[in-house]
Amino acid sequence: MTNIAIVGTGQTAHARRRLDVSQAGLAREAVMEALADAGLTMADIDSVVVASGPAMFGAVNQPEKWLVDALGARFKPVVRVTSGGGTGLAGALAAMNQIKGGVAKRVLVVAYDKLSEGALQASISTLYDPFWGREFAVGIMGFSAAYWRARMDRLGHTEEAAAMVAVKNRANSMLNPKAHVKKEVTVEEVLASKPLCWPIKVLDVPPISDGACAVILAAEGDAEAITSTPAWIRGMAYYSEADNAAHRSMLQSEPLKIAAAKVYRASGVTNPRRQFDVAEVQEPYTCFELSYYEGLGLCPEGGAAELIASGATQMTGDIPVNPSGGCMGANPIGATALIRLAEAAMQVTGKAGAHQIQGAELGLVQAGGGWANLRGVAVVGSTKD
Amino acid sequence: MVAATSRNVAVVGSAQTQLKAAWSDRQHVDLISEAVARALLGTGLRIEDVDFVIDSGSDFLDGRSISNCGFLGAMGAHHKEESRVEEDGLWSALYGATKIASGSASVGLIVAYSKSSESDPNDYWTSLAEPFTQRPVGLDQNAVAGLFAQRYLTRFGVPASALRAVTHRAWAAADGNTFVDATLEMLQDEYWSQEIASPLRRSDMARPVDGAVAVLLASKDVARQIGGSPVWVTGMGSAIDQHFIAARDGATLPAAAAAASAAYRMAGASGASDFDIVEVSAGSTAGELMVLEALGMAEPGKAIDLYADGASPGLNPSGGALPADVVMASGLVRLHEVAAQLGGRSDHAPQGARRGLAHASGGLGMQNHCVITLETS
Amino acid sequence: MTNNATSTRETMGSMTSRLSMPYTLTAGKAMGTFLAELGAQRIIGSRCAACATVRVPAQDFCGDCGAETGELVAVPSTGELTGWTVTERGILAFVLLDGTDVPLLHRIVDTDVSSLVLGARVSARWAAEPAGNVMDITGFAIDAESTVGALAPTNELLAPIEQLAYRMELTYEHSYGHFYGSLFDSVKNDRRIRGIRCPSCRNVLLPPRGFCDVCFVPTKDWIDIPDTGTVQACSVVHIEFVGQRMTPPYVYAEIVLDGTATRLIHSVGGLSAEEARSGIVKPGSRVKAVWSDRATGSLADIEYFQVIDGSA
Ligand SMILES: [Zn+2]
Ligand SMILES: [Zn+2]
Repeated sequence: MTNIAIVGTGQTAHARRRLDVSQAGLAREAVMEALADAGLTMADIDSVVVASGPAMFGAVNQPEKWLVDALGARFKPVVRVTSGGGTGLAGALAAMNQIKGGVAKRVLVVAYDKLSEGALQASISTLYDPFWGREFAVGIMGFSAAYWRARMDRLGHTEEAAAMVAVKNRANSMLNPKAHVKKEVTVEEVLASKPLCWPIKVLDVPPISDGACAVILAAEGDAEAITSTPAWIRGMAYYSEADNAAHRSMLQSEPLKIAAAKVYRASGVTNPRRQFDVAEVQEPYTCFELSYYEGLGLCPEGGAAELIASGATQMTGDIPVNPSGGCMGANPIGATALIRLAEAAMQVTGKAGAHQIQGAELGLVQAGGGWANLRGVAVVGSTKD
Repeated sequence: MVAATSRNVAVVGSAQTQLKAAWSDRQHVDLISEAVARALLGTGLRIEDVDFVIDSGSDFLDGRSISNCGFLGAMGAHHKEESRVEEDGLWSALYGATKIASGSASVGLIVAYSKSSESDPNDYWTSLAEPFTQRPVGLDQNAVAGLFAQRYLTRFGVPASALRAVTHRAWAAADGNTFVDATLEMLQDEYWSQEIASPLRRSDMARPVDGAVAVLLASKDVARQIGGSPVWVTGMGSAIDQHFIAARDGATLPAAAAAASAAYRMAGASGASDFDIVEVSAGSTAGELMVLEALGMAEPGKAIDLYADGASPGLNPSGGALPADVVMASGLVRLHEVAAQLGGRSDHAPQGARRGLAHASGGLGMQNHCVITLETS
Repeated sequence: MTNNATSTRETMGSMTSRLSMPYTLTAGKAMGTFLAELGAQRIIGSRCAACATVRVPAQDFCGDCGAETGELVAVPSTGELTGWTVTERGILAFVLLDGTDVPLLHRIVDTDVSSLVLGARVSARWAAEPAGNVMDITGFAIDAESTVGALAPTNELLAPIEQLAYRMELTYEHSYGHFYGSLFDSVKNDRRIRGIRCPSCRNVLLPPRGFCDVCFVPTKDWIDIPDTGTVQACSVVHIEFVGQRMTPPYVYAEIVLDGTATRLIHSVGGLSAEEARSGIVKPGSRVKAVWSDRATGSLADIEYFQVIDGSA
């Protein structure tokens, strides 16, 4: 099978509110940076995949139809893949298939959300079936807090352990020029912060951001001609789980495990903790990062609290997780998954600047969305295999 | 470019629910499951053989965000790879075909549906317009169809009355299609006289209906195992025009032409005349003429000639999207129709047809277009 | 469908759902300037730096070629009618303003339909009280006397309008369908909760549905379900947000009713926030429905669930 590489990445200056650009202008900003990174222009791009969160976030239905002018994509194939918070990775997967399937050589993926423009929790609450629980919904915060509470009892994912995730990711954000939340916190401050949906407290929650990310993919042969530092995609998958299937366990995410198993098989990963040099995971709340440690096999089930406490996932640890700061530094929901992929690509090509993990060669990416029932995993490397 | 998709991916099954004005006693999930279960019938494939699901639906029409999330079980997507393409299902089919052609999967299920009867379809259409200058002045799907129809008719000197032939033919075909609830008797006087967006009347506008459609795509190996007469995907293309409707030509559809030429190139086709069946989705009668011209079936301004009595038996044998437009799914219905007609699974197939073309449009004033071509061995 | 429903009174048609959400939308620099300048009865267009196309409203990017806008230009408020359509919502038109290359989409006002001809001269009509949006031009009217204007350079432009308040109102009539219809009809009239069994995995699914999500086979037998169950997960909601349906604090709970294998989403009530956090309700807690006096045929017919003895 054809190997696919990331040949350019770009991100906007993420912010709580960008008043200088429209949704379309925001997406363009990331695209221009990715094109410049790859040394390409839109004329070199065969096809565009737009990924963004639910259209109700921004009051524009099928926003790619508006974005096309800002992307300079007239008369090109433009399609939008939407899959909640993980949509950027789902979009990248669609782009990979376009290249491997022979309908495009170079595909631009652009993911964005401009969350300052809408009523976020009200919007996300419409995820719920109007007949089944929507009136109790708090976006997915009530749900996420509930299953964290359950994992506390069963897997030892304590409030302290989650607070350490907040402390780590906020500290890492200080080194990331694209992150807009620049404030370090302590475990005590997180624990004492205001409960929103207990056990989720305000410092367990990432910011609400305006931001976009763009990634350009190309096939083996072409990729090396475009850049001397391609980041090779060793595997990528995006799995789902029926939201109210019988005996759905939310203690461990089944679709995450299935996706990880498939991608690890494709990329020859048998010992994730040892083989990966760096991981970028999409943590909509601190508690999810703990859960992903286990789902991704970075530690055994029930071992997440110990893993974070050991310091192994710190910048200086043996498996740094979210050197970018993750969602804690910037959280434009629809873009966050693609940001994780771009950050991992930057790491394995030595382009991460102040938050570079020295010598990183193999990176793990995780993303997800919906009702914790859409889960994607990718592996990127500095070499093809 | 290497056309890895060409003749490496087959439509091995497809089905639709009946398309009707309002499925008021059924939920989305009911329609979806019916289409999926029927698509599997007779293929020998079971849901566990399906590697992935790509689906098309609209959060705005469904009244829920990330609406695929709630319909995964009904689509048979539980613990499978799944993605939502928020555009007509023909784009989902294009995605699915690339996934199989890439060698990363063997069997894919493509699903598209909507129940526009549950909301005011205008809300769906107006929310497609950027909200600062086009939406506030009252732009909707009818207005853009009227503005473009006026351009088309005046530029090419086609009288508005000529459009009656397009309506009549579409509804007559739908009358013979048991999966569409439209009948010629429904074309009452008010259909012909009620002005919706001059020069267009109610009879000129696509009629929104509820329904679901499912298409099973498979690799060459799986298609051969299933046997019968597989219908191969030979070409695919899509292209989008700019957003602001006043900046588009209006009387021609260059994005549709670009999508078609990409598909023809991949299929090694010389043009529209290579195809025995052409199923297109358009928002209005005048729009349908523009689509046919963009596909190369007629010179600009001349597509009306295709509607002469007895001409073009392969044009929209199902009736097309005018009598029954399932928003988000009309293009995938066209693919199902072409595959069923070529594969001997349809009672309204033109005789001896071997090659077919399915077309989808999306967006206000048909901003976006997709073309997939098929062929039997 | 092949489901063998027991006989039910299917009185349930559809449920109305209204989504009403506020937005603050940003138009970007060029269009924001266009909107601001309308308040001063000036029309601003943009000239593409690459292809020189002049379009109005001013745009940050050129839809033709994708280049960034080079300069903003002052556009006359007169032009030529290049298209129109009469709709239920009024007359929409393409107006090619003098000196521009791309028409403006707007409305025709103060004009008899019969006087509309392609190529007619038109001029803008302005709102008496500008509101800072595109309707500060109420529309265009036939103006045979208008002279042909020309583009002019802009100077001292007003600052762009940065945010427009917008509200999206969407109304739905969601069909209950056979399965929710049967369930909520029983809930409403008989205070009976009914699930459905998958013939393959034998799990009882609530809400009832046509196909088992896991087995993808049609479900079969309706099963009466008690109004007691076990909390699978719960959290205490303190946050307040726009569009919230319940008043915090409340306990968000996912409950598995006895005999079922799926989640019912509701609240556990009769507790203070302190009690809720104290561990009185937690995963494994046994709960029972407290029925409301209302009979709405929805989950609201259960007021809340209360903790009962026998927690797991
Ligand atoms: Zn230009
Ligand atoms: Zn089952």
